[in-house]
Amino acid sequence: MSTARLELALRLPLHAFELALELATDARSLGIFGPSGAGKTSLLEALAGWRRPASGRLRVGDCVLYDSTARVDLPPERRGVGYVPQDALLFPHWSVERNLRAGLRVDAARYQRTLATLEIAPLLGRAPATLSGGERQRVALGRALVSAPRLLLLDEPLASLDLELRRRILPYLLRVREEFDVPTIFVSHDATEVQALCEEVAVLRGGRVVARGAPAEVLRAQRGSDFENVLAGRVRELHGGTAVLELDQGGLAHVPAGGLGRGARALFAIGSDEILVAVERPERISARNVLAARITGVEPEPDGSVRIEARLGAGDGAALCASLTRVATEELGLRPGLEVHLVFKTNACRVLSAAGSDGTVDRIALR
Amino acid sequence: MIGAESHTLDVLLVTARVAGVAALLAAPAGIALGFLLARAEFRGKSAIETLVALPLVLPPTAIGYLLLALLARDGWLGERALGFDPDLLFTWKAAVLASAIVALPLVARTARTAFEEVDPRLERMARTLGYSRARTFARVTVPLARRGLCAAGALGFGRALGEFGATVIVAGSIPGRTQTLALAIFEEIQLGDHAAALRLVGITVAIAFALLWWVERLSRRRSR
Repeated sequence: MSTARLELALRLPLHAFELALELATDARSLGIFGPSGAGKTSLLEALAGWRRPASGRLRVGDCVLYDSTARVDLPPERRGVGYVPQDALLFPHWSVERNLRAGLRVDAARYQRTLATLEIAPLLGRAPATLSGGERQRVALGRALVSAPRLLLLDEPLASLDLELRRRILPYLLRVREEFDVPTIFVSHDATEVQALCEEVAVLRGGRVVARGAPAEVLRAQRGSDFENVLAGRVRELHGGTAVLELDQGGLAHVPAGGLGRGARALFAIGSDEILVAVERPERISARNVLAARITGVEPEPDGSVRIEARLGAGDGAALCASLTRVATEELGLRPGLEVHLVFKTNACRVLSAAGSDGTVDRIALR
Repeated sequence: MIGAESHTLDVLLVTARVAGVAALLAAPAGIALGFLLARAEFRGKSAIETLVALPLVLPPTAIGYLLLALLARDGWLGERALGFDPDLLFTWKAAVLASAIVALPLVARTARTAFEEVDPRLERMARTLGYSRARTFARVTVPLARRGLCAAGALGFGRALGEFGATVIVAGSIPGRTQTLALAIFEEIQLGDHAAALRLVGITVAIAFALLWWVERLSRRRSR
């Protein structure tokens, strides 16, 4: 992998506030997380050259897109960014195929790989107006990938879709991350997506970065009881409708098998309010996941609940977060350092995607 | 009767030539102006907007008189200023010039609306995919605005077809050379030949009706 250090420093006056940020990262996929109106889209538009900042410096690897001191301001056509805006912005007067080939330097092999990864070959002859929301997003993503960008900008590609559709698109985004080595900035207000897709996240609020770091840790603190833990592992066994995953940081988890194959890599989400905490190991219980863990933090939330943070195993495994009531926390005497068991049902786990054991992508079930 | 028919034919040929060439002149100028007004922000934009709209409300005779003064021997575009005789006055070319000027605001305003209906973010997306400004204009903006631009050209042709006041001043009403439908109708009425006038009016109404019907269809399909 080539290193593509990303440097984002800019001041950009917007309607109600000024977008002012300064961050540099080596992460291949940077998440920008925040509520709507936080300036996320404006940041992407500044990177694409659609908006001119008041000052700053934007750099991808050794390519300077904008630098107010050096008076560099590349026009959009020389920036080499692939932009997938929220509304896809397909050219309505062209077929899907012509849209995909819209970029000026279209490499045949890359084009074929894009069609295969996103499964859009059947759509080639269609007009954009006849596509569903999910298809439109895949074509827009394909168009950006075909143009061989040095930086991919994804603006809440899932925001315009309903929950069911979003869950079908996420696997494609994960495949793109596996298949194409493109530094990506992913704007979203969905903590689960950011955890699944990004190595690093910056939380944007009112035009400023208010938190930054590893997605699970940063987002856990941002969300209340609706936080979802995202865990990764490899399928060790399959039986019935269940897959047993060997988690990357140790431990086993039972999840719905879906289309997973043996040896496949898988990501799944488990809601923090779906996890029970037991101080003694429960016996003869229907829930398949009973994982030993050690509490690392007990944080009261503004909504009255308590966030229990724990790491699996002896305290060195994957971090998970459970949301409990204050009464339960006090009655059980939960405190940092305590050894507990985290309990959750197989069917409470939501499989986000899977990639093959050799790094290639499985034909995962996309119901 | 044969004389009347060949006269009508002459009138139609002159009209087609004058209105056609006027529309061909007004269309590129009006489309360029329309694009500028729709997309560019610059100082004095409202002054340009007003100036472009002016021929819509000025009496065409006033425009004709200004044009006459410009093209006269000692006018700013006359023989003395140019160093040669452009030989425009009282030729079909003067009729074209007058019609084009009168048609220009209509073309520019219709083209402007057509361009404003194109999402500028689609143009930016084309740039992001590597298109230059010119390529974006040719491949994205114009194709997306094409119905409105056709309507602009058709309305320009229609306005040129009906031009009377400015034309009669700079080009006169010379049968077979500068006498268009509008001028011929006036002449027949002056001569008291109401049958001939009515025939020419009928032809004019038919052409105008067909033209506007087409424009109407274009704009209906556009707004769908």
